Amino acid sequence: MSVSIAKQGYQLGHGHDDHDHEQVIYQETRDMRLLGFVLFLCSDVVLFSSFIFAYIYLRTTVAPIWPPMIDGHQLPRLDTAFAAVNSVVLFGSGVTMHYALENWKHGTRAMYNLFMGLTILLGAMFLGGQAYEYAHAQIGGWSGNTFGASFFTLTGMHGFHVFVGVVFLAVLWWQSSRGVYDHERYFGLTAGTLYWHFVDVIWVALFFLFYLW
Amino acid sequence: MATIAPGVKTGPYHAVLDHIHPEPTSFIRKYIFSIDHKVIGIQYMITGGLFFLIAGMLAEVIRYTLLQPQGQMGISAATYNGVYSMHGSAMVWLVIIPLVTGAFGNFVMPLQIGARDVAFPWLNLLAFWMFPVAGVILFSSFLIGAPDAGWTEYPPISVQGPPGTTLWCIAIFLIGVSSTLTGINFIVTIYKMRAPGMTLTRMPLFVWAQFATAGLSFIATTALAAALLALFCERVFNVPFYDPSRGGSPVLWQHMFWFYSHPAVYIMILPAFGIVSEVLPTFSRKPIFGYKMIAFSTVAIALLGFSVWAHHMFTSGMVPWLQLPFMIITMLIAIPTGVKIFSWVATLWGGSIRWTTPMLFATGFLITFTLGGLTGFFLAAVPADYHEHGTYFVVAHFHYVLYGGSVMGLFAGFYYWWPKMTGRMYNEAMGQWHFWITFVAFNCTFMPMHWLGLMGMPRRVPIYDPAAWYVFWNQFASISSFVLAASMLLFAYNFWSSFRSGKIAGPNPWGARTLEWMISSPAPYYNFKKIPAVLATPYDFGNPLPYLGLEAAEGATEATPTHSSHPVPTY
Amino acid sequence: MEGLAGVEKIIALIGAIVVFIFALIGLRGEWKKTGLDDQVTKLLLGLMAFGCVLVVLAAFGVLPRGGGA
Ligand code: HEM
Ligand SMILES: [Cu+2]
Repeated sequence: MSVSIAKQGYQLGHGHDDHDHEQVIYQETRDMRLLGFVLFLCSDVVLFSSFIFAYIYLRTTVAPIWPPMIDGHQLPRLDTAFAAVNSVVLFGSGVTMHYALENWKHGTRAMYNLFMGLTILLGAMFLGGQAYEYAHAQIGGWSGNTFGASFFTLTGMHGFHVFVGVVFLAVLWWQSSRGVYDHERYFGLTAGTLYWHFVDVIWVALFFLFYLW
Repeated sequence: MATIAPGVKTGPYHAVLDHIHPEPTSFIRKYIFSIDHKVIGIQYMITGGLFFLIAGMLAEVIRYTLLQPQGQMGISAATYNGVYSMHGSAMVWLVIIPLVTGAFGNFVMPLQIGARDVAFPWLNLLAFWMFPVAGVILFSSFLIGAPDAGWTEYPPISVQGPPGTTLWCIAIFLIGVSSTLTGINFIVTIYKMRAPGMTLTRMPLFVWAQFATAGLSFIATTALAAALLALFCERVFNVPFYDPSRGGSPVLWQHMFWFYSHPAVYIMILPAFGIVSEVLPTFSRKPIFGYKMIAFSTVAIALLGFSVWAHHMFTSGMVPWLQLPFMIITMLIAIPTGVKIFSWVATLWGGSIRWTTPMLFATGFLITFTLGGLTGFFLAAVPADYHEHGTYFVVAHFHYVLYGGSVMGLFAGFYYWWPKMTGRMYNEAMGQWHFWITFVAFNCTFMPMHWLGLMGMPRRVPIYDPAAWYVFWNQFASISSFVLAASMLLFAYNFWSSFRSGKIAGPNPWGARTLEWMISSPAPYYNFKKIPAVLATPYDFGNPLPYLGLEAAEGATEATPTHSSHPVPTY
Repeated sequence: MEGLAGVEKIIALIGAIVVFIFALIGLRGEWKKTGLDDQVTKLLLGLMAFGCVLVVLAAFGVLPRGGGA
């Protein structure tokens, strides 16, 4: 290989005008943050998976029957119908979030605001539903038995993620109203959307495992 | 993007690579809350070194207790439990893991890929500061009753254990978060920020090792976090996960713990593999043998490492039909490991070897690590493990792989990169003495544990059979371990005196070929005056250096960068 | 209680179908994009649509198998 030819062609970080250069830096920074954020979500998946493993393990290999027996009578199942409605609320918020981001990309601000507001509202409704569910679940509380332990730990962790998500989205909404993002640069919104979808999908698993299995 | 030379594509990320933060001037921003990967790497080294001292003294307490078959006055069984539990926990989480990833990963990896920093410098700063905090929390558990169930903290003992066990959970959780963040940071750095032309198969092998390790840390560590969270809730809020009397299962903890901790043994050893893969070719002046095989076997080990955890649980009462697959997969890992060992030996073959201190440690590593791998094979065989589990044979095994492997690798790395960190040489004769004393004392300390274990001496018990044979080998091991500890004084003195008055090293004292040696020592703040382009793997001794654009950087300590770019937008 | 559960199931059923349809429309819009965020979005939207299917099964009483509350 001819080193001198190589040298002629070798330039780095030069030959861009300033605007181009800034755009390239934005793009690269954004891609790195995106990858980092997705990796963070992956490791969060492992956190939930480990607790799900614990639940499956306790339910299938340790407990003789499920729901477990406490003081001679079997615990009731959870209220599937109510949880189904609450699930739809959360999945619905995932869809509205998707459209909020799409509208942001297309510059349709009014629709963006509508969908973003809806998302936050539905997220808060889900949390309210969770609170109601917690108050009414007759499974002996968090520390009563392994059913309560796995149910309240997993849904509690998930609820905490939803709560963080609602705050996250509210901040993003506020930021976008203050002009922090424009229609080409909106990494915060992308991250918020991915996080919110992630929280919804965790719920798909929890809904199945606790209510439908 | 465009091809800039035959075989050199501009990496897509060169603009960010070129970005330079202004150098901080205040002491605090420069040395305490620095975001410079080199400073953070050295901070990890110092902190990890201090913890090594404490955890090492705990080890000597263990060996002191075992000088006599009835134990020692003043060291109750309860104290002994706390001492070995803290020794193991600290060595694993406060010494080896932070040193192999946080310290060497941070200091060396960005230099080797031709970057100016890691992808997320602020995250790096945060991850570092969680580490000393975790250390302080862990050691303060001595004040309220140290954890007493060993570093593995099996329930039900850990559920009922002293209050310090709760602090143990918090500390290990924190250090786990730190290592997850570092893992994410390193993956993004290695994946996105390599210098133009540095394709994956042109990366130095140390970078490959860090890549695989980072993958392990960010996936496996959250499993440990879950196990710890559950233990914490059980201890503090009485939530039943592990207590069998309330429908829980102690074996559940073992699954969750080892799903992390087996990959964690590879977190501890893969970077040492990486160090050895740099040191051996440099001092044999020969291309590394089987570059691709070493790189791919690193990844293979990391992947297989996720599917063998239950080999720690053969005697736990797990379902018997699962034992066979776990045994077979465990043994399969010996294949990629063997590939590496043979490649390293073949690298030495016919080289013009210089027996410098790092080279001695790397060769010592080859011997002791291989012995540890062999005993691992014995342990993986289910019927043999029934006999060996819970005995000193296991202790011998993991000290051969962890001390003889990870720590020897770390020593090699320290001596090797010391000139790059400080710009000065250490005293070679003293370094070689350090090696020989370490090597002999190490083997004398841990070799007898093989036969002690096979004869049935259990681990984690402060008293043992008073027959003369047991007493002799225990005293032999203890006295050797005191020598081993004393050899650390040589190490410490060597670096202290080198730091004060060592010979000036120059950019490349070893004649090595990876990128970190192409810049002045100590490395300047911005690392590379100009980001170089890479044309080939670094190991082809005899060919011209495979880099373009480095000339400008010679003696670049005073020079200012050619291209200081715009601030990166924060959204 | 029975009556209330019936109303809940109807709400869940209708809601799930609506959400499912919009999730699929969103998915179709994403389909040709190839960025990392788009790929992840596809995966997550798809799983969310699957969640809607689960809700439908619950509303019809197919799951849980013993018949839930
Ligand atoms: C050829 C490779 C290896 C094999 C086949 C192997 C196999 C095993 C087996 C089967 C055990 C369980 C023994 C028992 O408790 O009965 C074990 C324990 C252990 N191994 Fe390995 N091992 C290998 C390499 C390593 C490496 C590279 C490390 C770390 C750098 C390591 C660290 C440990 C530790 C720390 C333990 C003990 C855990 C404890 O109970 O405290 N091993 N090994
Ligand atoms: Cu293992």
